[in-house]
Amino acid sequence: MNNNDGKDIPSRAVACLKSPWNDCHNTIWLASALRLHRNIEKFKFPSKLDAERKKQIIALVGTEYLKQSSTSPLMLKAEDLSFLDREYLVEHFLLIESFNQMGIGNAFVIDDTGESLTLFNSEDHIAFIKVSTQPEFDVSWSELIKEEVQLGKKFNFAFSSRFGFLTSDLSNCGTAFGASAYLQLPALIHTEKINTLLETELEDNVMVTGIQGNPSEVVGDILVVQNNYTLGVTEENICSAVRSFATRLQNEETSLRQSMKTSPNPLLMDRVSRAFAVLCHSYQIEAVEALNAFSLLKLGLDMGWVQGCSVAELNRLFFNCRRAHLLYQFEGKTLQEEIPHKRAEFIHKALKKVSLLI
Amino acid sequence: MGNMFEGLGMYPDEKMPERPLECGECKKHIAFQYTEMVGSAVVQNCMCSECPVLARKLYGDRPNEPGEGISLEGSTELMCGNCGTTLEAVRVGSALGCSVCYEVFEDILLSELASMGKIPTRLVMTKKSQLLHQGRVRGEAVEISPSMRLLALNEALSEMLKVEDYEQAARLRDQIKTLTDQQEQQEDLRKEEL
Repeated sequence: MNNNDGKDIPSRAVACLKSPWNDCHNTIWLASALRLHRNIEKFKFPSKLDAERKKQIIALVGTEYLKQSSTSPLMLKAEDLSFLDREYLVEHFLLIESFNQMGIGNAFVIDDTGESLTLFNSEDHIAFIKVSTQPEFDVSWSELIKEEVQLGKKFNFAFSSRFGFLTSDLSNCGTAFGASAYLQLPALIHTEKINTLLETELEDNVMVTGIQGNPSEVVGDILVVQNNYTLGVTEENICSAVRSFATRLQNEETSLRQSMKTSPNPLLMDRVSRAFAVLCHSYQIEAVEALNAFSLLKLGLDMGWVQGCSVAELNRLFFNCRRAHLLYQFEGKTLQEEIPHKRAEFIHKALKKVSLLI
Repeated sequence: MGNMFEGLGMYPDEKMPERPLECGECKKHIAFQYTEMVGSAVVQNCMCSECPVLARKLYGDRPNEPGEGISLEGSTELMCGNCGTTLEAVRVGSALGCSVCYEVFEDILLSELASMGKIPTRLVMTKKSQLLHQGRVRGEAVEISPSMRLLALNEALSEMLKVEDYEQAARLRDQIKTLTDQQEQQEDLRKEEL
């Protein structure tokens, strides 16, 4: 994929990242993610550090972190990763930020679980990220805290009794902790019932956004429920608020699907049929269009309107059709302008056995 | 939230909603919209009510006149001695540069958080001496206790059964069983030790 010496190994490591998405059978609650930010007390935050200082932090903190980890971690320096590798990480860990600006002094640690990413010197000195296909936060939270406590024994984290853990982004201080639930809600979104639900049920402590971080742009019918506050609330409050609202939305989506099984909705049946046609017959297809259509096809499968594939296969396709994942499958040999056509071909092949029953 | 999903569809040429309007400098909600001529180009700007950039454009660096509405306090050069971050930078939402910034700019950080809607409303009017942080402190190993987890899982299970999502319910049951088995094993071990 990358002909430069020394860059091939990190690229291979990213490509070999175990994907939790390959065996994800979730119909609605696709994934959960946690994020914890920390800064080392004696150092300025990364935006005020030069490359040498950042390297020093990686040498000190990164090395200690690798020593303490029990999951075969691998540190990848940003300068050794291609833009494609970085984009792959963004897609894999369902992130909204771009790693394109990262360079000397930035590093990533991945491990053999494929569910853990630790960033060094991005926004803060350390950002622990955990992603999982389980519709809960408790296990990831325990793992995250274990890592943080271990590292905290060696380094003092920046902390004040008034503002809690100190972060470069003011809106992250306090717990410096974020919990997100990724919900795929095609029935609620396409029937527009979601608007009423959000207007009446959404409380101040949680917010809803799209998978790309823009609250007004929903891709693949995925809504990300996340905490709005990090200060003035406990970590348990955060998990419980996100879990509670996500469960509420999940239940509403399930109930709506149940009711549509007895009285089918022609509008949705039409959209599912069109999605099937777009996926199976387009000559070229953009990622957003494909992701939107996959969501409808998945709904169709759940409703019994489509047959010939499983939820896990559609979830896998959902991830593998995003730009970097797709390019990895062609080992980066595809030109930018060929991607939509290659994506369409890839989808045709994957959905060969799928048929419409309505 | 308004009808944020209105007009969304599966085709790229369908109407996509615009981003919520936010200040071009600070990313806060806008209060003013104005048109500016920059060379030969006409530029549309949106800015929040507290934006120091707008204040500077309107009044230059002169002190604020009473009744002008926009405070120019930000133009006084309060700066963090440790990292060089200025008050103006903090007001336009730039990243804080170090831990000391939290002490230097302490007085305005709470109002900044409130204007971003990033602090519970009950805490907006707190006194300076009052602690805002309620979560873990350094070195504290707070793990979610198994019994709390069991409680949450059981709650989720009954929710799933209520909506007849048996697939999710089966998964939750497995998790409950694993957790209960673990607890029983630990209990047995403890008894053996005694």
